[in-house]
Amino acid sequence: MRVHAAIVAIVSLLVAVPARAAEQPAPAGQIKVVSGSAFIVRGDTVLPAAVGQRVFESDKVRTGSDGRLGITLKDDTRFSLGPNSEVHLERFAYAPAEGHLALALNVVRGIAAYVSGRIAKLSPDAVRLETPGAIVGVRGTTLALSVSPK
Amino acid sequence: MIQTRWRIVTVLACVATLATACASKKSARGPELPGQAMVALLPDPDTNAVGKAFVTNSAGRVDLTTAREVTTVSARSAPRPTTTLSAGDVRALFGEALEALPPAQKHFTLFFRFDSEELTDASRALAPEIIRAVRERPVPDVLIVGHTDTTGTRTSNFALGLRRANTVRNLLRDTGLAAASIDVISHGETELLVPTGNGIFEARNRRVEITVR
Repeated sequence: MRVHAAIVAIVSLLVAVPARAAEQPAPAGQIKVVSGSAFIVRGDTVLPAAVGQRVFESDKVRTGSDGRLGITLKDDTRFSLGPNSEVHLERFAYAPAEGHLALALNVVRGIAAYVSGRIAKLSPDAVRLETPGAIVGVRGTTLALSVSPK
Repeated sequence: MIQTRWRIVTVLACVATLATACASKKSARGPELPGQAMVALLPDPDTNAVGKAFVTNSAGRVDLTTAREVTTVSARSAPRPTTTLSAGDVRALFGEALEALPPAQKHFTLFFRFDSEELTDASRALAPEIIRAVRERPVPDVLIVGHTDTTGTRTSNFALGLRRANTVRNLLRDTGLAAASIDVISHGETELLVPTGNGIFEARNRRVEITVR
């Protein structure tokens, strides 16, 4: 009887956890540096970027003519934007125990810097930096990118 | 006399203009065509290590393998052959983004007594250094991962790892770190620092790993 109750408890936990995860996804990282005008575009919403704010997979970050922005992701990846820049965090998955590792950053325009983190160490092929005309693969590295607007 | 002086000033001004013109001609320029990208490989800001990068599109591929090696690429044409930027070029082209990079994360490993959530004396002495790393960041976020050796069951070790991680969380309580900025997890005996068989006493596996970002 007690075993039965325990099984019910475990099953309900297993069901509850993914449901909650779907409601509120885990943050991919956090904004650590902001100056001037900088924004997060989340779906149809444009939020002014602030130090300490969380960022999520699928967020787009954007800076104005006086803007700078620096982000640290949960796997220790760091990236930053200079002025008039836009980068999309298209993919972020960091669950090493389950083997889920993915990072895709799309540098749409402007200037960006990237310093690789744990995902690049554990699974180099899981990291993709995109520009309008090419894909950049990395092996434990620091990169700077500049993309002129289309 | 006055005229001569003016003439000298004019000549100096011309020389200065020429020098500036020459300098700006030499310094590298960013991408100019719409949608064109410039990709530069840089030494790691903290370790100076240089990795590798591969720039690929449907028309070709170029590898970047040395410090400040750079290529330019547009859609439908292969990445251009690489050149090497000077440190000054890197500052001029990418400085505004590089300056906005957050500080590098710091890693710490603390060790524990056998079958206990009590820190070893040497590890306890490291606490002020970790607290300092947290305090020197404007918006720290911290990952605390508890581990055990392989004595005891997997289940009890998962719980022990969590108790160890919570000991470290309590150490950081005074830093004013928001609860939402701390992740506390346990890997129990599943990620050994020193690989051993099951049921093996190993002090180096009884640890908590801390990342301060």
